[in-house]
Amino acid sequence: MANGNSGVPSVYLHVIDDVVNKVRDEFISSGAGESVLSELQAMWEMKLVQCGVLPPNIQRPAPPKLTGTPTPVHDLNVPYEGHEEYETPTAEMLFPPTPLQTPIQTPLPGTGEHHLYQTPTPGEYAPVGDPRDISELKGGRPSHYMNPPSPWLGNQRPLGVDVNVAYVEGREEVDRGGSHQSLTQDFLMASSGKRKRDSFTPHHPPAEGVIPQQDGSGDTILEFILPETTSFPHSSKEHKEESVITQIDGNNDDSNNSYRLQGGSSEIYNSPVEPAELRAPTPAVGTPRLAKIEVLDDDEPPLNEDDDDDEDLDDLRQGEEETQTHHLVLAQFDRVSRTKSRWKCTLKDGIMHINNRDVLFNKANGEFEF
Amino acid sequence: MATFELYRRSTIGMCLTETLDDMVSTGTLNPEVAIQVLVQFDRSMTEALETQVKSKVTIKGHLHTYRFCDNVWTFILQDATFKNEEGHEQVGKVKIVACDSKLLTQ
Repeated sequence: MANGNSGVPSVYLHVIDDVVNKVRDEFISSGAGESVLSELQAMWEMKLVQCGVLPPNIQRPAPPKLTGTPTPVHDLNVPYEGHEEYETPTAEMLFPPTPLQTPIQTPLPGTGEHHLYQTPTPGEYAPVGDPRDISELKGGRPSHYMNPPSPWLGNQRPLGVDVNVAYVEGREEVDRGGSHQSLTQDFLMASSGKRKRDSFTPHHPPAEGVIPQQDGSGDTILEFILPETTSFPHSSKEHKEESVITQIDGNNDDSNNSYRLQGGSSEIYNSPVEPAELRAPTPAVGTPRLAKIEVLDDDEPPLNEDDDDDEDLDDLRQGEEETQTHHLVLAQFDRVSRTKSRWKCTLKDGIMHINNRDVLFNKANGEFEF
Repeated sequence: MATFELYRRSTIGMCLTETLDDMVSTGTLNPEVAIQVLVQFDRSMTEALETQVKSKVTIKGHLHTYRFCDNVWTFILQDATFKNEEGHEQVGKVKIVACDSKLLTQ
């Protein structure tokens, strides 16, 4: 691959010519004219020369458009390093302002509109391609594509943090303190927070009249015991309803589905001995606090607040930054498949930038080990 | 004709984008025309890769990250080897971004 870019210049020149020829009508009808078009072409080619992609003396079959601005002889004092073109080469770095100014500063109807161009740029790129592509464009070239920081972020965050911390901790205290105040509440707590610990301990036989114990893994018998052992003034029918609620939380009970329906969402995250099927739907989140927060339905943002502190996110951000500056392959995929940890993919029509060199391919086969 | 904006991130695409940025910010070029140029670049680049390029490449490496989102695969490889008929190159880390080729034929 030492000479891997042998065919690249001709392809690039072909692309440049093709683009220039096909936007000519656009330029003329918009009033920009041929001179602007040739200026565009000259600047484009010169940048490619400076990137080291095109040879300094461009040999094209029929050199038609190099008239207006002669390509400057590869300017010596350009503090530009070819391998950094995926970072942020500013216009100033590439072009010392003076020699490159257009000789004819074409006055345009849309002269004042260049704000229009800058602000909506991300949005205007958006419709055709994939959103991710755009976001990465933004990352690569922050000066032009970066969105202004959203104002709502600043508003919400500090508020969210403070309220959350204070509120949750307070809430935990309240929960602990209040959990024994009423039987019903104890039932609920048992089915949300405490069951995990209980399920570790050997199961106690149901003690007479002590309802809070009916939450172990084997207490499907509760239904039958309760009416005898309790001294409630309710009818046994009511008891059955209550006991149905409390008993569907054991490890071995056979009504896991209803368990999941009844506020079980907060439990899923807690228990380390949870059956896999219960854990499966939401494997990612899991702090005991979640159960408490879930009770207060006005505390959504604080949940995410924790995610921000997550080291995963930092890793991700770092990873993105790193990969921005590294070697890059842009292509289309025909097929991507995986067998165990072995990935295979077929790519086509790709542009690679590897070791400061552009390489094009028609087809590529990838074999990766994950 | 559908196109990908994918190739705008290549060297030639970045050079074009910078040129257009310069010309628009100096008032030389109408922003709408600049967009048209970019769209035309998407088309021309895609077509040129299809018709003018014949070479084949083999890529091997350790897959560090994979991601499939909005019909775009992203792979980050470590210790990757690129081979074609002219030789081979080794890189410590490379990012592969690939759009679904079927989207173009629709």
